[in-house]
Amino acid sequence: MAPKDETRSELDERSGVSRRFFLKTVGAGGVAASVIDGLQEALPHAQEAGTAAAPAAIGPGPVPITLNVNGQRLSLKVEPRTTLLDALRNHAGQTGNKRVCDRGSCGACTMIIDGRTRYACSTLAIEAQGHDIRSIEGLAKGTVLHPVQQAFAEADGMMCGFCTPGFVMSAVALLEKNPHPTVEEAKRALDGNICRCGTYVRVLEAALKTKGVARG
Amino acid sequence: MAEARQVPEVAAPAVAQGNAAYAWPTHPTYMGTDVQRIDGPDKVTGRAKYSYDIQRPNMLYGRIVRSPHPRARVVAIDLTMARQAPGVKAALAVVEPNAILMFQGEEVAAVAAATEEQARDAARLVKVQYEVLPPLTSVEQAMSPDAPKVFPDGNVREGAAEETGDLAAGFKAAAHVVEQTYNTQVQTHVSLETHGCVCEWDGDKLTAWVSTQAVHGTREGFAQALKIPQANVRVITQYMGGGFGSKFAPDAQGIICANLAKQAGAPVHLMLDRKEEHLATGNRPSAYAKIRAGVSADGMLTAFDAQTWGTGGAGVGAGFPLPYIYQFPNRRRQHKDVYINAGGARAMRAPGHPQGCFITEVLMDELADLVKLDPVDFRMKNLPPDAPDARWRAYFPIAAKLFGWDKRHPTGDATPGPIKHGFGCSANRWGGGGRGSHAHCEILPDGGVIMRCGTQDIGTGTRTLVSIVTAETLGLPIDAVNTEIGDSLYPFSGGSGGSTTAASVTPAIRVTAVKALDALKAKVAPKLGVPPADLVASDGRLHARNDRAKGMTWKEACRTLGAEPIAVDGEWQPGLSASGTSGVQMAEVEVDTETGVSKVTRLVCVQDCGLIVDKLTAESQVIGGVLFGVNYALFEDRILDRNTGQMVNPNMEWYLIGGPSDVPEITAHLVDQPERGVIGLGEPPAVATAAAIANAIANATGVRLRSLPMTPDKVLAALEQQRAGGTR
Amino acid sequence: MKAFSYVDAANEKDALASLGTERNQVLAIGGGMDLLGMMKDYLVQPVRLVNVKRLDATIARTPDGGLRIGSAVRLIDLIEHADARRMYPALVELAEQVGTPQIRNAGTVGGNLNQRPRCWYFRNEEFHCLKKGGATCFSVNGENQFHAIFGEGPCHIVHPSNLAVACLAYGATFRLAGPSGAREVEAEQYFQMPDHNLYAENVLQPNELLTHVTLPAPMAGLKSAAYEVRFKQAHDWPLAFATAALVMEGQTVKSARIVMGAVAPVPWRANEAERALAGKTLSEETAGRAALAAVQGAQPMSRNAYKVRVARTAVTRAILKAGGMKVV
Repeated sequence: MAPKDETRSELDERSGVSRRFFLKTVGAGGVAASVIDGLQEALPHAQEAGTAAAPAAIGPGPVPITLNVNGQRLSLKVEPRTTLLDALRNHAGQTGNKRVCDRGSCGACTMIIDGRTRYACSTLAIEAQGHDIRSIEGLAKGTVLHPVQQAFAEADGMMCGFCTPGFVMSAVALLEKNPHPTVEEAKRALDGNICRCGTYVRVLEAALKTKGVARG
Repeated sequence: MAEARQVPEVAAPAVAQGNAAYAWPTHPTYMGTDVQRIDGPDKVTGRAKYSYDIQRPNMLYGRIVRSPHPRARVVAIDLTMARQAPGVKAALAVVEPNAILMFQGEEVAAVAAATEEQARDAARLVKVQYEVLPPLTSVEQAMSPDAPKVFPDGNVREGAAEETGDLAAGFKAAAHVVEQTYNTQVQTHVSLETHGCVCEWDGDKLTAWVSTQAVHGTREGFAQALKIPQANVRVITQYMGGGFGSKFAPDAQGIICANLAKQAGAPVHLMLDRKEEHLATGNRPSAYAKIRAGVSADGMLTAFDAQTWGTGGAGVGAGFPLPYIYQFPNRRRQHKDVYINAGGARAMRAPGHPQGCFITEVLMDELADLVKLDPVDFRMKNLPPDAPDARWRAYFPIAAKLFGWDKRHPTGDATPGPIKHGFGCSANRWGGGGRGSHAHCEILPDGGVIMRCGTQDIGTGTRTLVSIVTAETLGLPIDAVNTEIGDSLYPFSGGSGGSTTAASVTPAIRVTAVKALDALKAKVAPKLGVPPADLVASDGRLHARNDRAKGMTWKEACRTLGAEPIAVDGEWQPGLSASGTSGVQMAEVEVDTETGVSKVTRLVCVQDCGLIVDKLTAESQVIGGVLFGVNYALFEDRILDRNTGQMVNPNMEWYLIGGPSDVPEITAHLVDQPERGVIGLGEPPAVATAAAIANAIANATGVRLRSLPMTPDKVLAALEQQRAGGTR
Repeated sequence: MKAFSYVDAANEKDALASLGTERNQVLAIGGGMDLLGMMKDYLVQPVRLVNVKRLDATIARTPDGGLRIGSAVRLIDLIEHADARRMYPALVELAEQVGTPQIRNAGTVGGNLNQRPRCWYFRNEEFHCLKKGGATCFSVNGENQFHAIFGEGPCHIVHPSNLAVACLAYGATFRLAGPSGAREVEAEQYFQMPDHNLYAENVLQPNELLTHVTLPAPMAGLKSAAYEVRFKQAHDWPLAFATAALVMEGQTVKSARIVMGAVAPVPWRANEAERALAGKTLSEETAGRAALAAVQGAQPMSRNAYKVRVARTAVTRAILKAGGMKVV
């Protein structure tokens, strides 16, 4: 077979997804700077930022954002493509929630946004602005565990523990809405989380026996 | 060709021979009770720092460029564009031109950049010229005579035939013969924390935070690959997000990470993504068995003749024990390892056993049906003699009672309607046992206790076991012990695999704690006027054995040390641990014969593991093992495109792992065997589940599935074949 | 994921002004559940995203007694909407079956309808498949166990949307807004087969937005239900599912709409099944006969013949469930 010359970017070109953008990028030699140049050219309908017809675009370089995480204002500078999970983990040192599949399949990144569970790996940080974000770091008060955390610890609702923060968040969101769930309701509420060690039985036990979660 | 890194079953006695000086307490306070995981609060709050979570000043992010092709020759690698990309601080080629890549995902080049996004961008700018070569994509293709010769010593490696007894006579004695082919799929580990590490150099000294099951083994691996002294490497693993046998070494990504860090002069964080994890970090090999087996009219096994094969991917073996457990007096087996262009196998939770168990136990049910015997009765007739590490004769009846086996109906649920219920059973064995761990204990003048051991907690609860044994020995509360593990600076302990950790570590901790206590007793004895040998530690006091009043509190005792703490080293000694476990599982399923969907509704697991150290975490191990088996039975399958050899489901969306709604009711019945000492429990409960489920599906539907995973298409096809009058 | 710039559109007008005409260059982001995964896997590499979550996110009664659902309505809001559940139970049941709680809490109605196929050849960049401008549909000679059992190709995806199937069953219309105004398209006309449109699954143009789904008032005697067959009970894609919308008079089916999902590149209307049911008294037997008619034209591939049986079961059970009869 004939040798094939491949960068992944050339594969992108082959599939036609970003032909003009790519050529421009290579020509300029600097990726970030050339993106903006390429953008204007690639978009027949795009308007200059700030004109009357279209609202301003931000990025693609880092932009300042403010997040409300666990009741604290957090000011960061991240690219629009940065997920909420990566913003907190890589830019704010909050590594409690985990990145496992990075595709919204496993739930290890689960946070509670405006009272509902969300995959932080599949939420853009810029889009999380203006919302009430709760991560695993926000549950315990000093050394006093949240009732759900206490129940997980007592029931051994964990093994390696990598899925645990996500499961705790899903359980908290469940119990704030429904303090006395049935087994089936608890399973449904936790179905967006995966544990490879197989701790589900005790995770469910913990969720069902938790007492004293205030309605959210 | 490299063998899969198989964790050897440790040759150790099945019963602890006793060790007078360090014997386990006969009336323990903590051991064998439900003790909460001591790091539970750290895990539930997110405070536990896994290797993935390590962040160092000026840390860069690494990213590996991997072959998209299962087989290709590297013509050229050009890093120029990648080096010029924003934020890039290091770039390197992992292979030389003309290197032949043997699996999709094989490492080709790598970059490190200031942000993770920049590293990903730059990796895509690495220009690799490949000459794509035709791959071997399946065992069928690799075994066919016209397959391209891909592996230097042949695509197939044929092992020596194993033969016992007189096969011809065995078949002559058979009233019935089953002749069938069975197979199991390739399963990947899917550890939630992916493989990877953070590497930081200080001059010629390397510190690596690695997601590993072996801090010491990984230190050795780094030293060897980087050609630096072992003393210059420190490996740290405080918390580890699952390994299941796949994490014993730095691996390619570890060495690449260290080299990137060296080149960049800055720490590098390199954790794989989910796709890389599926492709390049190991798997359980597939297994195939074409079997002819005979049974006498009175239900005794007479003969077993098997040709077996399987693939562990590119150049890795695919061995498994067969026949499993049951006694075929006359038997022959011929095995072949088949190589294909796919990521290599590694040890995976009870290597080989789930395969051998599934094949044998499904065959056993087929034979039982032919002689019209209840599957449990049939097994009882053909089990090996009872022994401490072979207790199935005791466990089948226990499981049957817990499960309600007497309510089993004959093969084929006669209830009207599409939903059919069925029961199935199977048995498992595993070695376990361990040796070779060292520990260091300090008793401080302020009463503090430090126990250090270079083992690691991979989620099994090892950290908690160390605290339990130390606290038990010193008569202190569990939280009075500072357990320090997960660092290659601590005394040597082996890798955590093969259910060897508990049996390796806990004796070392016991010995070390006893020695430390003896040293303290020696200091205190003269002050109390009691001979050291008459002193005991309990309830936070040191006192005369027969006179509690004649003593002092632990703190008072430690204060007598003055400025010099007690610091003692100890190591594993025989007599406190053993090897060999047995277990039995029973499953109930519900099969929808109009959709092919099978649900496991109930599982009973009877399992021993020697002396139970922590009942709570031991039961968690059992439950987790059983669920591992459920996933293997129904869901998991590494699917390669048959034409290109590329994996189509390298994610957690199409590589299925059951979630909360897939969990059956599980009864974990642990048999405590204090007389045997500590053994180990990680592997055993994961072995028998798939076979029990397969047998339950057959009992429900009347059709037998001989292939894992038992997906709806297979169930429906078997039912269709039955309706068409096909063979059973 | 490639870097992109981002526009936070305050309304429909702003959003439309930010789009472009070249496919996949500028993309609307709703919940992002599908889009971000596509971008992380480099299957699309837009230079700009336009947030459309601030567009209409309400569910309102229409003058004729139906419901008009803004595309930005999240699935969880649809699920918790009492009128929607009462009037269109199959739609809400199918919304409840989507993904996981986290996905339903983020995902929008518009996003669910417009999400891209989950075909594993499409989703892995190693496979330069037809849909991505390549020359081959890898499923034809490959791993096609989850692929289509209806349709002539050349691409054999199954349509991934749950809601789309219910939209067809209830006779929904979609409002599409573009630079020169808005148009209404019937749900049945919205989705396109690969031989008509290989590179997208519907008629939506790159510079258009799907802004609303309008459901007509339920007809007198309408009884409807959905039945989904999935293997893994937690988070999994359906093997096949069906929606039955029956207009009943006593136990007699006056007319029926039967639509299957996960069996074809578009939601698959089973006209033969509908004809087989019309005028019949509802029973296990008539439902079964209709289901058989529904899969009559199936052309399974090498590994997905079982889906014919699964789809048949889904249709039978959806019909029985709609009619208030016992299902397994």
